[in-house]
Amino acid sequence: MKNDQTNELYKRFKAKLELVAGECYRVNTAIEAGELVCKVLEEKGVQNVALLDASISKKGDFTNLIEKKGITVYTDHFREVTPEAQAGITQVNYAIAELGTLVQADADANVDQRLCSTLVPIHIALVSTVSLIPSLKETMATLHGLPQIPGFVGFITGPSRTSDIERVLTIGVHGPKQLVVVFVDEETGEVA
Amino acid sequence: MADKQFKKKISDALGNDVLRGALGRFGDAYIISREKAYEGYNFKEISDNIAEVKSYAASHLDEMIDQFEKAATERGAKVFRAMTGEDAKKYILEVAKRNNVKRVVKSKSMVSEEILLNKTLMAEGMDVQETDLGEWIVQLAGQHPSHMVMPAIHMTKEEVADVFSGHLHRLNQPVIAELVKTARVELRKSFIEADMGISGANMAIAETGTLIMLTNEGNGRLTSTLPPIHIFLVGIEKLVPEFEDATHILQALPRSATGQQITSYVSMVTGPTPAYYSDGTVKDKEFHIILMDNGRRKMYNDEKFKKTFQCIRCASCLNVCPAFQLVGGHVYGHIYTGGIGTILTNFLNSEKDAQNPQNLCLQCGKCSEVCPGKLDIPQMILEMRNRIGAKEGLPFTQKFALDVVSNRRLFHSLLRMASVAQKPFTKGQPVIRHLPMFLSGLTEKKSLPAVAKVPFRDVFKTIKQDVKNPKGKIALYAGCLIDFVYPKIGEGVIGALNEKGYEVIFPDGQSCCGAPATYMGDRSNARKCAIMNIEALEAEKVDYVVSACPTCTHALKESFKELLHDDPALATRAEELSKKSKDFSKLLFDLGGLTPGGDGIPMKVTYHDSCHLKRSMGVYTEPRKILTDTAGVQLIEMKESDRCCGFAGSYSIKFPELSGPILERKLRNIEESGADVVVVDCPGCLMQISGGLDKQNPKVKVVHTAELLLEKRKVKKNRKK
Repeated sequence: MKNDQTNELYKRFKAKLELVAGECYRVNTAIEAGELVCKVLEEKGVQNVALLDASISKKGDFTNLIEKKGITVYTDHFREVTPEAQAGITQVNYAIAELGTLVQADADANVDQRLCSTLVPIHIALVSTVSLIPSLKETMATLHGLPQIPGFVGFITGPSRTSDIERVLTIGVHGPKQLVVVFVDEETGEVA
Repeated sequence: MADKQFKKKISDALGNDVLRGALGRFGDAYIISREKAYEGYNFKEISDNIAEVKSYAASHLDEMIDQFEKAATERGAKVFRAMTGEDAKKYILEVAKRNNVKRVVKSKSMVSEEILLNKTLMAEGMDVQETDLGEWIVQLAGQHPSHMVMPAIHMTKEEVADVFSGHLHRLNQPVIAELVKTARVELRKSFIEADMGISGANMAIAETGTLIMLTNEGNGRLTSTLPPIHIFLVGIEKLVPEFEDATHILQALPRSATGQQITSYVSMVTGPTPAYYSDGTVKDKEFHIILMDNGRRKMYNDEKFKKTFQCIRCASCLNVCPAFQLVGGHVYGHIYTGGIGTILTNFLNSEKDAQNPQNLCLQCGKCSEVCPGKLDIPQMILEMRNRIGAKEGLPFTQKFALDVVSNRRLFHSLLRMASVAQKPFTKGQPVIRHLPMFLSGLTEKKSLPAVAKVPFRDVFKTIKQDVKNPKGKIALYAGCLIDFVYPKIGEGVIGALNEKGYEVIFPDGQSCCGAPATYMGDRSNARKCAIMNIEALEAEKVDYVVSACPTCTHALKESFKELLHDDPALATRAEELSKKSKDFSKLLFDLGGLTPGGDGIPMKVTYHDSCHLKRSMGVYTEPRKILTDTAGVQLIEMKESDRCCGFAGSYSIKFPELSGPILERKLRNIEESGADVVVVDCPGCLMQISGGLDKQNPKVKVVHTAELLLEKRKVKKNRKK
């Protein structure tokens, strides 16, 4: 029963995300997530990536997996590396099925979380499948229910976009041009 | 009345094909994408919720500000209350100087445009970069935004390429993807180097001290992430009581603004967050919030304008406005444009600045229909008009005309004289095609009808009413157009109501309903008309009062009550009249309609909804039912059937250059429907549309519902006799 509900939420999320030009995947384990991410990076020709390690990437041993493919992995000094990095990998706290939206809501408002997900041209977002929330309304209630509203809460829905010139939709302005979301079923604990 | 300089701005805007093309394409696409974005959502419920939380904040403004300040301060923010734009600028300058700021990045803030902040900072030698692409383009071009959500909607890619080439001293090709890439690279440098960021916010949550921004490009995220000093500059109308109240606005703002389910980014900032300093250390940034008044409180304290607090700045009122779509934002003269912009200009700049643009409102009401904050913008613009009228008086010619109209004997004898005097112009035709040169603007796109030889009040005496099993009595209010131009409509009304068992009387003392005075801001003449008609119609003595002109019906039902609310005796009578007044097609429908029938001769018909009937009275299914109950009538819906025809009373006289293109669009939609006959319920629309068709497509006829019934049911009636 619970499984059916999760499948349904995932399906809705994926459909909505794809409508706004995002890519969406789902895997069973953190290791599978690492393998998938390697494949995505290779396919996109990425040579270096900024990785903000969190529960999924740690459990999936991402650093090792990616480095084995000959791709440089930056795991610190993000202020210097992210403006030039070709991709960024972060884990987000929630996903809203209704809208295909990711939610960043770290209790400590970690600035690196935002650097690795905003400055890079490709953002790969990892999220626990159990963190799927059906609606915007429930998401706002969840955030409100935290001990305090985190210093920075960021909703991300697809890549950065503009229609400011002649109303023509163009993807990738100040933020990423590509957004890849990977759902991981295996429970790995909190983001941080 | 609009002055010469303003008229020049309008004609320049109308002559700008690029602007007209861009606005037109956007306006058309917007309606579809907005509708799609709300699919499966209950717009009414969402807007009810917004109105509820925002009106609560408006009526508890001090409490909201105190609460916000307390919550934000507890989280480490410095909160400053700026009474004026000058106060805000002074504060920002102090912060900048104290920290030796050289480079500033801004994410979209209309408030900073309102107070011309960039100028102040740049005068102190600071480098200030707008980072919203549209704002950046407008900044580089040395212009102001022409739209709240899409600042550069008035520019082509060629113009943008020229601006970029000039700024970067290298050639930029007019290829949109390339231009966006260039902006990314250039502005990325600004973001990385900035010492300070300045942002606007879409919401400020009193409960938690949180600021919420919606952006698509990601500039809001970068401004809140990179610079070690961050100032939010926020108008006090952005306050929302509780955190979860933001849900309603998040549901509406992207859908209403750009037809998106949600923007690419929603950023919620509560207190200072860690940032990298130039020495590489990470610590909490310096974080300021300025809550700015700058004339807002005066607006919210004014009972008639209090609801402007409920505006969430989605600009949907601009996007559906037939006038805005023609002229764009720059004609409005100040930062805020369109209907809501005119009201904001009135309070945040000056009444004088709003005097010209307020004339652009057609009073068609389309904006109120789509407003997620439930603002009645036309009503507020009318109130501005009234205040201007009361304070400064109307120009002599207008005042003279309205004085004449509110004097029944004088007005009616002039109309009778006109039916003779017009002969040289009509050349025996039923419409005036040409006017002497100084009035030629009036007939450029349309013909004007001729005044009837015999007014309805005289025709009435010759009509034999044959009522079997009489059920009651109905007073007919004709209004000027039916009385003196289209008496046929009155005959149709009587025929149909007789068939329902009612005798129709025509109280002779009736005259103009006062709408022209009301819509030009002349309350004293409007009041005179109200009293004259209340006394003439004696609603107390009849079962109903019927009018076949929705603008008049609106006056009988709403305006008279409002105009006379301070006089208890007249107010009671106005209330009685209001209760008994119905527009013809609504009354006929409520009385059960006519039994299906008619001559059965095939007739392809399309229906045009009048603004007052559909939006003020919510009547649009009723006339369609009456039409389809008529044998032979095939109803074909036209596109945008409820879009204003451009008549809008005196508007077509004040702005023939705008009324003309609005009418043309209506004519195009009529033509595309393939119908042979256009049915309307308003003699004003009838005059406007038939005037246009007479010039462009004389084969298509325009008739009032009552006239159509008279024509299609004549056979049956004769047989009865």
